[in-house]
This record gives sequence, C-alpha cells and structure tokens, in this order.
Amino acid sequence: MRSFFRAIKFAFQDIFRNISLSLMTVLILVLMLLSVNTLIIIKFFTSQATQSVKDQIDVSIFFAHTASDEEIDEVQSYIKSFPEVSNVEYFSKDQVLEDFKAKYSDNENIIASIEELDENPLGPTMIVKTRNPGDYNKLITALSVPEYQDIVVAKTFVDTELAIERIDNITTQVERFSVILTGLFGVIAFLIIFNTIRVAIYTQRIEITIKKLVGATNWFIRSPYIIESFIFTVFSVGITYFLMKFAAGLIDPYVAVVFKKEWLLTDYLTSNIIVLVGSQFLAVLLLTIFSSFLAMRRHLKA
Amino acid sequence: MINLEGVSKRYNKQSIALDDIHLNVEPGEFVSVVGQSGSGKTTLVKLIIAEERASSGKVAVGDWDITRIPDRHIPLLRRQIGVIFQDFKLLNKKTIYENVAFALQVSGESGSRIRTVIPRLLEIVGLPHKIHAYPHELSGGEQQRVAIARALVHRPKILVADEPTGNLDTINTQDIMEILKKINEFGTTVVLVTHNREIVNQLRKRVVTLDHGKLVSDEQIGKYRL
Repeated sequence: MRSFFRAIKFAFQDIFRNISLSLMTVLILVLMLLSVNTLIIIKFFTSQATQSVKDQIDVSIFFAHTASDEEIDEVQSYIKSFPEVSNVEYFSKDQVLEDFKAKYSDNENIIASIEELDENPLGPTMIVKTRNPGDYNKLITALSVPEYQDIVVAKTFVDTELAIERIDNITTQVERFSVILTGLFGVIAFLIIFNTIRVAIYTQRIEITIKKLVGATNWFIRSPYIIESFIFTVFSVGITYFLMKFAAGLIDPYVAVVFKKEWLLTDYLTSNIIVLVGSQFLAVLLLTIFSSFLAMRRHLKA
Repeated sequence: MINLEGVSKRYNKQSIALDDIHLNVEPGEFVSVVGQSGSGKTTLVKLIIAEERASSGKVAVGDWDITRIPDRHIPLLRRQIGVIFQDFKLLNKKTIYENVAFALQVSGESGSRIRTVIPRLLEIVGLPHKIHAYPHELSGGEQQRVAIARALVHRPKILVADEPTGNLDTINTQDIMEILKKINEFGTTVVLVTHNREIVNQLRKRVVTLDHGKLVSDEQIGKYRL
C-alpha cells in the first residue's frame, strides 16, 4: 500500500515537473480522439441521412376501383404477413379522391373532368413500407401473381426501383468505407499514442536506468507511469467530450435545417455518453499502458 | 566479501573485456582497481552489481552468487551494495532529499524513518543546507557527495566507486577521497576503480592492476605502475 501511494506521488511529481511534455501528451491524445470522434459523427450523420431517405421510400399499391373490400383485406393480410414489412397504410376510394382533388385544386380542367363523371374512377390505395430498401423487390414480386392481377392495377415499383437500388448501394458503400476508415484511424491512433508515450518514456530513459541501479524493482519504476497513463487518459477523454459537446451546440442549428430535428447531435452525444466515453477511455488507457510497457522494456534491462 | 573465480566476459569473439580473473576482496579492505581505458575496470564493476553477466567463471558478493542470481533478486542485491559513478547518476528532476530518499523508498522504508535518516546523512557528507536543491544547482563535488550519501543510505557492507573523481577538480577529489577513507575506517569494504595515479599512490592500500582484460598485478600496499 505504501508503494502504491508513493507511485501516485511520483506520478503527479513527474507530470508537474515535466509539465510541457505532459501537456503535449494530453494535447496529442485529444487531437487523436477528436479525429476519431469526427469519424463517429460523420458515420452518425450518414446513417441519419440514409435513414431519412429510406423513410421517404415506399411502395404504393393501386387497387382497381372494382375491387371488393374482402379482396383488399386479403391482400392487406398477405402483405402484413411478410416480416420485412414495417408499415401498411390504407386509403379508401373516397380518401384517394379527396387527396386527388386537394392535390389538383388549382387545375380547373382536371377538377371539372372528375366532377363530370358519375362515379369515383379512382380505386383504393395502400402505401407499404419495408424495413430495408432491398425488401421492396421481394414485395413487388410477391404481389405480381395471377390471382391479384385483376385487383392490383398498378404498383410504383418501376418508379422507385432505381432509387431503391441506389440507396441500397450507397448505404452498403458508405458502411464499407466507414469500416475501412475506422480501421485506418485505429492504426493511426495506435501509432500516434505509441509514439507519444515512447517519446515521453525516452526522455526519461536515463532516470529509469538510475532507478534500476539504486535497487528499484521493475514494478516500482513502472507503476508511476501506469498512473500517469490513467491521468492522461482521464484528461484527454474528458477534454475531448467537452469539446465535442461544445461543437455539437454550435453545429446543431445547421443540422436542424437538414434533418428537421433540434439538438440532434447534442442528444446523440448525451444519450451515448457511456458507450462513447467508456469505450474511448478503455481504448486509450489500454493503449497507453501497453505502449509504456513496450517502450520501457528496453530501459528496464539494465 | 567479493570473490571472482576464473571470470571472463566476452562481448564477441574479438571483444574480450575480462579474461580469467581471480580476485578475492576481504571484508573491510580498501582496494584500488587501476588500469588504462579499455582495461576492463568498468566491466568488473558491472559484474559486481549484476549489470552484466559473466561469460564464464563465478562472481560472488557476500552470500550472493551473482553468476546465477535471478533477475528478481537483482534489486535486493543492489540495495546491499553502495555504488557511486563518475557521472554521479542523480535523478535530475528530484531534489537532493528526494534523490537520497528514493534509495530508501524502493525498499519500502517508512516515511518517518526516511525523514530521520536523510538529514543526518546529508550532514555527514556536508550538504545539510542543500537539501531542497536540484542536482543542476550543485557543483560536481557536491553532486558526488550526494551520490555517496545515496550509496550509504542502506548502510552497505560494500561500496563500489567507479571513477568517482573523474569529473572533479583537485580539491573536490581530495574531499571525496577523505570521505571514502572515513567510510572504510568505519568497516565498509571499498572498491575504488580509477586511473588517477596521484590518489592511488597517496592511499598506500591494496592495488589491483588490469591490462587488456587481464589481472597483471595485485599488491597489498601498491602503487600505480602503468
């Protein structure tokens, strides 16, 4: 226990007596963490953007105006039986007509033509949403069977097929790119942390050798550096989170214009604080401890 | 106290630092090890403090067989041998008090004992007023006296001094030699490694001469003959 308290005391002494090196180490760690967090934010925005585009995609199924309620119910039950389907919205003949009139209210010719007819020429419509854009194809294929040929007169399959495919492609590519970029950032982060700690240890190599010569054990020498790693990690992760929150506050008004959600980024950082701060704290701590172990190994051989 | 039996140290086939050395140092002796640069003096010190391992032969210090000492026991050995170096080897970011205290802290001594022992030791080496100074604020002679205080902090039975006056002027050299003689008079075995002819001849103690890694002479009251 006495050695542990001495290690804490030596760690703080080292930090304050090498204050410029300590500040530089924290600064580099903060810069590295900011880069990683920027990547996380970009990934978050990408998924938000993709999701909002996906939300706008649906398949409209137009029924013949002669289709009976039983037939429509049967199709609806069939569609709902697909696990891929997330939402089904049904609009009756009258609702469709109302929407149509509202849509073309400024076009007298169209409104007059509709009024001329004795009966509603429009059939009921069903708007279906699936969990993934790739599932629309499956749904369209499932509805293109002979028994529904007379009931379903049109599907917006052709109009949205290309958009769905593109979104699917973009999503896959963005995810693939994110994985590669995350891997690349991981390697860069490791090299930065490793070299920062190595430089910090290298400047103290003579001291480490002297400590060995006066009878210090390897653990007695190492423990202050482990505590220093802990302190550097606490400060760098804390400062990074504070900076990210501050930046989120500045960016959020602009983000709100695009995504129609207020405080999107701030809410994301707040609701994911444990995962974000916890994982980064653990990663940096392990990396700094591992780096200091590796960097000290040579100097501890004396 | 220190016993070397047929000790050799080879770094490679061409570089033989020590060649078949037989040397026995009795408790309480003051032995000067002399020789020109590259004669193997520093290698001998490194073998005694287990900084290097012998290629062959046996090195024993007290009850320790250094040739077979496990790595985890080396710190314990070093706490029992006081060592001072030509370049003082003080911790530059620590005060004089902290430098000497560090040698006690590594062995888990209590804070109260450290606070009692250090001022007394610094008084013995004549530096009580420099207790809170940093090494770079002291002269070479003062730094070497701090190193001596640190070496004595565990009351070692052996003090190994590797060129302790190499970086000092004549007056400081005399001061350091006086301190070493006093330490020896109190019963500590002193091994002095030097190539300073004047101090060896003044001492009139045992002199061991090394030349190209070989022990070429060993005289009970010797002189620097190279």
